[in-house]
Amino acid sequence: MIKLKINDREVKAKEGEYIIDVAERNGIEIPHFCYNERLERIGACRLCVVEIKGMDKLQASCCTEVREGMEINTPSPRVLEARRMNMQLLLANHSLNCTICKENLMCKLQKYASELTIEDTPFENTQRKDEIDDSSVSIRRDNNKCILCEQCIRVCNDIQTVYAIGMVNRGVNTRIMPNFDHTMEESSCINCGQCVVACPSGALTEKSSIQDVIDVLNSDKHLIVQTAPSVRATLGELFGMPAGRHVTGKMVEALRQIGFDKVFDTDLGADITIVEEAHEFVERVKSNKNLPMITTCCPAWIKFGEQFYYEELNKNMSTCRSPQAIIASLVKTYYAKKIGKNPKDIILVDIMPCTAKKYEILRPEFKGEADFVLTTVELAKLLKQLNVDFLDLPESKFDEPLGVSTGAGDIFGHTGGVMEAALRTAADWLSGKELKKIDYTKIRGMDEIKEAELEIGGKKLRICVVHTMGAARRLLEQIKKGKSPYHFIEIMACYGGCIGGGGQPPPHNKETLAKRVKALIHVDEEKKIRKSHKNPAVIKLYKGYLGKPGSERAHRLLHTKYSKKSYV
Amino acid sequence: MKILQKTNLEAWKKVNGLGADRTIELLKKKGLTGRGGACFLTGLKWEFTRKAKSDEKFVICNADEGEPGTFKDKLILENNPENVIEGILIASYCIDSKQAYIYLRGEYHYLKERLEKTIKKVLEDTKSEIKVDVIEGAGAYICGDETAIIASIENRRGYPHFKPPYPPQKGLFGKPTVINNVETLANVPLAIVDKDWGDNLRLFSLSGDVAKPGVYEIEIGTKLGEIAKIAGAKDIKALYFGASGGCIPYNSNFVVSADHVCKEDAMLGACSLIFVSKKRSILDLAINIAQFFKHESCGKCTPCREGNVHVLRLLEKIKLGEANEKDLALLEKLSIVIRDTALCGLGQSCTNHVLTALKYFRKDFK
Repeated sequence: MIKLKINDREVKAKEGEYIIDVAERNGIEIPHFCYNERLERIGACRLCVVEIKGMDKLQASCCTEVREGMEINTPSPRVLEARRMNMQLLLANHSLNCTICKENLMCKLQKYASELTIEDTPFENTQRKDEIDDSSVSIRRDNNKCILCEQCIRVCNDIQTVYAIGMVNRGVNTRIMPNFDHTMEESSCINCGQCVVACPSGALTEKSSIQDVIDVLNSDKHLIVQTAPSVRATLGELFGMPAGRHVTGKMVEALRQIGFDKVFDTDLGADITIVEEAHEFVERVKSNKNLPMITTCCPAWIKFGEQFYYEELNKNMSTCRSPQAIIASLVKTYYAKKIGKNPKDIILVDIMPCTAKKYEILRPEFKGEADFVLTTVELAKLLKQLNVDFLDLPESKFDEPLGVSTGAGDIFGHTGGVMEAALRTAADWLSGKELKKIDYTKIRGMDEIKEAELEIGGKKLRICVVHTMGAARRLLEQIKKGKSPYHFIEIMACYGGCIGGGGQPPPHNKETLAKRVKALIHVDEEKKIRKSHKNPAVIKLYKGYLGKPGSERAHRLLHTKYSKKSYV
Repeated sequence: MKILQKTNLEAWKKVNGLGADRTIELLKKKGLTGRGGACFLTGLKWEFTRKAKSDEKFVICNADEGEPGTFKDKLILENNPENVIEGILIASYCIDSKQAYIYLRGEYHYLKERLEKTIKKVLEDTKSEIKVDVIEGAGAYICGDETAIIASIENRRGYPHFKPPYPPQKGLFGKPTVINNVETLANVPLAIVDKDWGDNLRLFSLSGDVAKPGVYEIEIGTKLGEIAKIAGAKDIKALYFGASGGCIPYNSNFVVSADHVCKEDAMLGACSLIFVSKKRSILDLAINIAQFFKHESCGKCTPCREGNVHVLRLLEKIKLGEANEKDLALLEKLSIVIRDTALCGLGQSCTNHVLTALKYFRKDFK
């Protein structure tokens, strides 16, 4: 332990810690753009500069280690002058069209400009006029708002190992672009939206479908909406609630109020995914073929797999559709038939934590099923626009016949959840018993790679849960080399799983994400039924419509296939 | 010129007898300092790198001579590459490195083949197993910064990195690395074998309003008047130390040394003296230099990337007679913020020329 002073206050720190982290722990927020606790430190934005006694120049607190006896001043007149001027320089080269910016009121550039009372910039406007890249179905790239903090690049390259974007040119002409001047659509982008989450200045935003949804709300179509497991754990934050509260009831009521005829639960889709996936897994374990099996709920991971590992790992990927795609398929077949409507007269809107779902619904395999995807952030905006008084809403329940879910479906929203849900079912089936112990705590938590060894029905099974594609790549390389020790792997592209998805509200720091996980575990524990195959709605569906898990109809409606994807 | 005297591997032989530790001690005792501008003790740098524990270490020769008005390394590479390579081998031997790189300025492409031939010959003559590769820069000023060189050799964008960690702790590919300037390495064998060698002798690149521009070997501590005479400079008003070192008013009695220049708020750097005659406007020079820095800013940090655009704009506004006192004050404040908050050494020094010009030649800005 070492002692130092920040703003005349004595504080303690560990050796090797950085000033910005020690300050934050002690309640001092130093403005910053390029610093992110999960990314390599680069010290580029120079907003976090501080004055250190005995040092000539101002130092970037994000990449200066603390020392014994250091005396740091974070808001000295010299610091503030420099910090304000660096902000003014950034603003002189920014669109400044805040009121019509998607990031409005969530923007860090805006926040610090306000906190540093910057009301004008003395510099001439040097705003570039770059073309907006609207090619991706998930992400909109407006370079005119980019402040070159490189967070997106580090997330895409270092965390996700996707390398869709990089830097071109130099000096004031520096730009962040997809490779070789291509568009986002042509790039290796997997649509995960982690760059959108990281971007502090509105340069990368999700592609919005809010207006499309408003348009259909006023049409005479039969309107269905489904909500993904993690959305209920994060939506409240966008209405000022603290992280970690689930708002399932209010969310359902809100959707009903704005005009949806039925509100279905993607969690039921999750339960069905589990029944199919557990069936598939048990078959593979019995025949000892195509192991390890990899979960396929995450569309960003699927695109990643199809681009980088199709030839080698296609056989390892589960053929089960994602919960979203299962509900979508059932709505336009089973449900349409049940209510006697032409599927063309039914509009299905998905509320998802995810920008990649916008891509998933457009995959040729799923054509004509789901119509629009709104992210959590978009849903909050839609509700505000439609004057829904969210906090005062009564609680409401999901609709039949696609509205009953188990605790297993709920935990799909966080890393480890799909695996835990699958094990609850697979363990019962493999052992032929109804197991009491259903909490697989070893695979919970925020470690990027979590593994466990289980003994089920006399068989030793090694399982692994991984989130972020960089960590997943390590496992995929193992499988490619034939050296994977695992039987079953869960992959989620986003840090924390869907609660950290590209369509979720900021911030995506460990603390907030951990609270969101807790909210989902709470929903799970509150449920009487916590195993997917015990879901009465699932049982009824199979009995009356799908037949058995793995049946021909189940395969047609609940499974999918993959194909090699190219990229630049 | 002393620096062009070939040591013909005498130093290499002596070093092999002395061993690494004693060679480093000898260099420290001789007082050899880095010629890149920072004047750090070369022996000490090597000692840090030698002591750093690692399975792999590297030596890099910084031949990315990009500072305006600096052309001394070119002379050495053209006329005495043998000593440079001998210096590289000695450095490698002392820190226990098996791989060295010469990072050659892109514009010095014509030297590459010759350098490689010389490397081959020296390696044959010494029967050394140290690999020395020439890597060419692509024409970026920033790649003269040691951390940017590292990034460039690693096949990454030539971006500087904050320090610490310093290269002797964590350098190329994350391994301990010695980075020395061409002139430093050329001096290494001389310092080891030549009894009369002293650290005071430097190569000066003299240019500007002079009759005889060129590279001269001059002792540190020489009076400016004498240097002006050597170069044939007359009616001089100001002296620039490259583009990044800033300027001082000309005074024939001024003693040229790093300390003296520093006292005047400028930086001697790599001994590049650009003489400016009384006929010239310092404002025009400032615009010229500001154009250079706007063009060469790498783009990584905010103050240098965005700030240099506005330094130039403000200077042009002054030139057009459209500026007022407020603009001048803003120019000064901006220059200070860039100096105080830029990420790398180059960014921190890119407004020295404005600040010193405003200090000594403010009336040229009216």
